Amino acid sequence: MKISQDQIQSLYQFTSDHYVEYYDLQTELVDHLANAIEKQWQENNKVSFSDALHIEFKKFGIFGFMDVVEKRQISLTKKYNNLVINNLKNFFTIPKTVLILMVVGIIFYLLKMFQHNIPLIQILFSILTIIFIIGIAILSNRNKKITLKTKKKWLLKEIIFGYGSISGLINIPIQLAIYNKSDNYHNWVLFLFSFLIIILVLVEYIVLILIPSKAEIYLKETYPEYDITK
Amino acid sequence: MYIENLCIFVIINLINMKNSKLYNGSLTTIVMKLLEENGRMYGYEITQKVKEITKGEIKITEGALYPSLHKLQAEGILDVEVENVDNRLRKYYKLTQKGAVETVNRIAELEDFIRNMQNLVQPKLDY
Repeated sequence: MKISQDQIQSLYQFTSDHYVEYYDLQTELVDHLANAIEKQWQENNKVSFSDALHIEFKKFGIFGFMDVVEKRQISLTKKYNNLVINNLKNFFTIPKTVLILMVVGIIFYLLKMFQHNIPLIQILFSILTIIFIIGIAILSNRNKKITLKTKKKWLLKEIIFGYGSISGLINIPIQLAIYNKSDNYHNWVLFLFSFLIIILVLVEYIVLILIPSKAEIYLKETYPEYDITK
Repeated sequence: MYIENLCIFVIINLINMKNSKLYNGSLTTIVMKLLEENGRMYGYEITQKVKEITKGEIKITEGALYPSLHKLQAEGILDVEVENVDNRLRKYYKLTQKGAVETVNRIAELEDFIRNMQNLVQPKLDY
C-alpha cells in the first residue's frame, strides 16, 4: 500500500504543526515519514495512517523535529557566514586592496582633521547602523511578501533576507558610536577606526546588496528542489 | 572485507554509547562509509541499511541522522539530488570528490583505532 497525495499533504501539515516551517526540511521529513509508514503497512496493513504516523513521530524523541531544525539552522548559518567571509576576501585582491587603502587613507585624513570640531566618528558609525537597520528591514519585508505568495519558506533564504547572524555585527558601530568621545586620538587609533569603517561598509554592501542579488544561485546550489517547486 | 564490516560494527556501537565523545564523529563516518559502498542513498534508506547490517540490533536515531547529513552537506562532503518518487520529493545524498577522499582518510584512521583497541583489549601474549 502506498501513501496517497492527500496523505502527503497531511504529512506536510503535520511537520508544519510540529514547528518545521521550512519547506526544505518539511520535504525531507515528509519523505522519511511516508517511507516509514509504507514499511509499517507492508508488515501490517491494518494499521491506520494516523497510528502509523504517531509511531514514527515518537522515534524522533521527546523534542520531535526540534533537534533537526536547530541543527539545520546552525549549519546553514555557518554556510552563510562563510559566504560573507569569502565575499569579503574577494575585496582584498591586489588592485582592490590598493583602492581600499586609499579610501582608508582619506577617511584617516578626515578624522584627523575634524576630530576636534565635529563628532565625525560617531556620525559615521551612526550612519552605518541606520543604513544597516533600514536595509535589513527592506530585505525582510520583500522576502515576507514573496513567501506569502509562494507559501514556501526556505531556511537559507530567511537567513539571507533577514536574520543572518551577521546582524550581530550591528553592535560594533552602535557601541563605538555610544562610547566614542571626540578626544585627541593617536594616529594608530584613527587608522584603526578608518579601517573598521571601511570593513563595515564592505560587510553592509555584501549583506544588503551582493548576497541578496546572488540569492537565487546560492539557493539553487543548496536546494536542488528549489527550481522544481518554485 | 572483514575489517570493513568490523569498522561499521564498531562505529555503530560507538553511536549507541550516548556519552561517548566519539558519538558525533562516528555517525558521520558511518554515513560516509555507507554512501561510499552504495553510491547514493536517502535518509530513511540509511536507517534501514544500518538495521539490516546489524540484523535489527542497532538503530540510528532519526533525530541524529538528519543533522549529520546536513552538516556533511554544508561542509561540502555530500551533494544532494532530488527526485520525484511516489508523489513526493526524495533527497538523495552522495559523496562529493572531497567527500570520497575524506571517507578514505576517516576509514584508515578508524582501522588504526580498531587495531589499537584490539591490541589493548585482547593483547597477544608471548609464552
